[in-house]
Amino acid sequence: MQTTHDSLSLLTGENADPLKGGLSEVHPSTERKKKTPHQSGWVRGHHKDGGGYTKEMPKYITAGAFARARAAEVSAMLKAVRKTTSSSHVFEALPKHMRRRAMSHNTKRLPHRLREVANRMREKSLQARRRHGNLLLEFNRRQRKNIWLETHIWHAKRFHMVKKWGYCLGDRPTYKCYRACYRAMSSHCLLQDLSYYCCIELQGDEDKLLAALSQLTSKEAGPTFAAALCLSGRRQGSVMVYRAGRYPSQPLGPVTFLWRPRTQGSVHRQLWIWAHPTLKQDLLPELQTVCQCCEAVIPPAAPVEVNPTLEADSEPENTPEAKPVPGTKRKRSRKDATGPPAKKILGDGTRLPSTPVSWRSSSNGIVINDLTMEIVRYRLIGPQSHSVLVDTLEAATGCDVRTTCSLWWPQHCSDEAKMTLHQQQADIFNILKGIYSTAELPSGTVLGLTVDDPRLTLPRKRVKALPCVKQVDEEKRRKLMLEGVPEPCCQSFIWEQSVRDNVTDNKISEQELNRMRSEVLVPGSRLSPTPLQGRVPILLVHQPGKQVGHEMSSWGAGWDLLLPKGWGMAFWIPLVYRGVRIGGLNMSLKHSQNKAAPHFPRDYPDCPAGMCFQEEQEAELLDKFKRHPPAKRTNYIKHGCVAPFRCPWQQLAEEWEIIVQEGGSQARTTAQADAVTEERTSQQAISITKPLSRFTVLRNRKALRLLSAWCRPTTSKGQRPCRVGELPPISCEAVTSFLSAHAMSLVWVHVSLLSKGKPEYHAMLCVPTPEDLKALGNRQGTGGPQEPPHRDHFKSRIKRRKKEPKKASSSDLVLGLWPDPLPSVASHCSRVTVGWVTQGDFSMSAGCGEALGFVSVAGLLNTLLNQTSEHKGKLLLRNPTSLHYRFAKINVEV
Amino acid sequence: MTEPRNPSMSSIPQTGPAHTDSSSPAVEMDPVEYTLRKRLPRKLPKRRNDVYVNMKTDFRAQLARCQKLLEGGGHREICVHGLGLAINRAINIALQLQASSQGALQLAANTSTVELVDDLEPEDPDEAGEPMTRTRNNSAIHIKVFYPDPQ
Repeated sequence: MQTTHDSLSLLTGENADPLKGGLSEVHPSTERKKKTPHQSGWVRGHHKDGGGYTKEMPKYITAGAFARARAAEVSAMLKAVRKTTSSSHVFEALPKHMRRRAMSHNTKRLPHRLREVANRMREKSLQARRRHGNLLLEFNRRQRKNIWLETHIWHAKRFHMVKKWGYCLGDRPTYKCYRACYRAMSSHCLLQDLSYYCCIELQGDEDKLLAALSQLTSKEAGPTFAAALCLSGRRQGSVMVYRAGRYPSQPLGPVTFLWRPRTQGSVHRQLWIWAHPTLKQDLLPELQTVCQCCEAVIPPAAPVEVNPTLEADSEPENTPEAKPVPGTKRKRSRKDATGPPAKKILGDGTRLPSTPVSWRSSSNGIVINDLTMEIVRYRLIGPQSHSVLVDTLEAATGCDVRTTCSLWWPQHCSDEAKMTLHQQQADIFNILKGIYSTAELPSGTVLGLTVDDPRLTLPRKRVKALPCVKQVDEEKRRKLMLEGVPEPCCQSFIWEQSVRDNVTDNKISEQELNRMRSEVLVPGSRLSPTPLQGRVPILLVHQPGKQVGHEMSSWGAGWDLLLPKGWGMAFWIPLVYRGVRIGGLNMSLKHSQNKAAPHFPRDYPDCPAGMCFQEEQEAELLDKFKRHPPAKRTNYIKHGCVAPFRCPWQQLAEEWEIIVQEGGSQARTTAQADAVTEERTSQQAISITKPLSRFTVLRNRKALRLLSAWCRPTTSKGQRPCRVGELPPISCEAVTSFLSAHAMSLVWVHVSLLSKGKPEYHAMLCVPTPEDLKALGNRQGTGGPQEPPHRDHFKSRIKRRKKEPKKASSSDLVLGLWPDPLPSVASHCSRVTVGWVTQGDFSMSAGCGEALGFVSVAGLLNTLLNQTSEHKGKLLLRNPTSLHYRFAKINVEV
Repeated sequence: MTEPRNPSMSSIPQTGPAHTDSSSPAVEMDPVEYTLRKRLPRKLPKRRNDVYVNMKTDFRAQLARCQKLLEGGGHREICVHGLGLAINRAINIALQLQASSQGALQLAANTSTVELVDDLEPEDPDEAGEPMTRTRNNSAIHIKVFYPDPQ
């Protein structure tokens, strides 16, 4: 009604000022119009001097129609005027001179007409907000967009949280613990919550599953889903997944997988595939294609029609959820007040109820289930992680209740076969006490177990779990170390949906547990009959440590603990009480860096997730760069760094392809030769880029082994050469045939600096000239050569643009960065670039700067061919913000 | 010194039956089929006066560490352990310690055999079936370096 009233007041006449206060400020043109001599009527639309349209003046105006025609405009105008600034305080609608101190606290300081609104808007007291139901509602609202893990609140109190991949994850702790975490990884135990990893379950006949999955992998890149030991369910396997039948060219990413051990006389198998959340959205459609599973099984509770195409990605970030509108919280809470706010058990609440999580194939009977957030996964890294586990967990005690009860454990206790199996598993778990280091076990071992609720044995103070090498049966220990866990003991009831649900539903709440504790006669003693609900099926999976390279072997080995959902905190706190360190996302990056393993998605530039990551990282770094004042920025052009925020792998691979084609066998590492090719490449790049395919990362095991031998592997800092098997020596013919097989490819290398220096990400790996190597041999120039500073030709252009601000033609020019069509990346500097570093830091395990990155295979082979045997594999490394080259030794590690 | 054979520190994936010191009956294998991966030797709890000698750390640094333990650390005796290639170095360290103490220190050497575990991973896991694990033995030395009791 307000609107119509105002619009009518517009009509009342010229002398009445229709727009009071703020309105006249917004539209000064309306006022000006009034003063023109021709102003005799109200005319809509644009007109010059008001003259053109005044000829046909309406004789009369129908107020209703007139107002209706303008209602939209007026309301838009009023809305613009009334709109307050970002926050929704009432007093922001007031002009400045009417504002008073502490208005939000004391509403009586507001004008009377606003008081009521303000009272309604006032936040509830902290106590009211902290009331349990309200708090849960608030929590549910806050995790609508980004899922919380079960340990979220624990982490949020202690960690810098980041919103990534649709989850809220702890990045790094707020306290200083970088070194402490490293020490924990190398000598005790570091704990991480990896529940954000997505689990996809496949069920079906073994041969059909294998036939379907074999399209996704290749034997050339290592063991596949069909590896005998993994297939038996005794080991966890890891594999690189490609798009169906596109082995070298279209990789998706790495996954780990776990087969459920066979049950007697059944070909029906169950397989869990664990993938990173960014990989899942690519992997799930691919799995559906190869398994021909397109029929979405609609969850029975939701009779809503679902669109199968939309359901292909049930990735939580893609769920079509309404954006939370500010102010809707109140309405929702009032609506929900009818029923008690239910606590979300994660996994249920995070996806729409109508979203299917299961797909069935009509042709081959394979069923795909999406078990995201159904299983909690904790990772313990470090040589003592098994002692932490042994300390925390206790094999479930049996019970002789013969009553029929809905809990799963009493039912299992009545079955003799299941109890013997449980006894065997418990025995093996106890053998773990006799082991000193986690790395002694065969990598990837799986152990199923049922344990008591660990909250019951919580120590009163935080203690450090230390190994006490007990005198366990030597023969059994030896058997476990040599052969791993026997196949039946890998079975766990966590594989069964019904048991998982039962355990999750019947968990004793913390409150109830405390009540039971308070009723114990001797305070602090253990609850004597363990409550029946406190038996949890778990799965322990051994994680191999460093497997490549010659040093620090099996560093960072550990155990993964898989739990049914809902039990996350019940296991987390007891683990923390055993003196483990907690790591966040950045520690998992450091972990993989010390293991010299590529970290997904950062180090998979050929995968869709890796490309996505690279773009995000570039935007982030560029944003950070632009936040500095121009005078304080690094001028990357002067440093000769073409792409400081992103590695143009494709361009690098293409350029090296051309260099090799042109050069043939001719040596082309000197800068002069490349200065010539630079022009040629830039011309030819346009014509040749078309037929060239996309770059790939070399993952063929045989080729990698050959390359590794050609690099002449040494220990870090290049001290001692390592022995390699008998492989063909490097020669022109061998290189040519190698390159023809693996054109346009990059290879993952491990770089260790020979002298000082700390590599950073996106540092360049360059080819040393013969003079550099000579200087290195003479021990004169051990510091490494210098890059002459480059000239910044764009600076003048930017200055010119500043003078003429009208012409914003080249708006993408940023001071210190190359504009978009990059020049030749390989031969931009005095030393030819062959690759870039993706992770680099001072390595505390090697005691020198170490980096991991990719180099072009063509470039690397060309370099190796021209190097003498004593300097084989020596490259130069230069940080983007420095002009100083450092000598480094590269190793290809298989 | 062409290869860091100290098993406590290194593992060399290599092809072929490179190590013939395997105590187990020789496993028939094709040189291309398997990758050898050595597991770390079994570790035992370490006291403060135990020194495990390796081939990676500088010799002088390890010697200095032992001297510090004996002089500054207040230990009456230390135990120097060496395995495989490091036996030589362990003996050297012990002898150097004795020489530099002008006869005040005494040595007592013990030898032992340590069982090591190797994993043989098939290159083509689908056909080859089970990866093999084998054990082999390696020699170790434990030298007690101590000040003899005054009586």
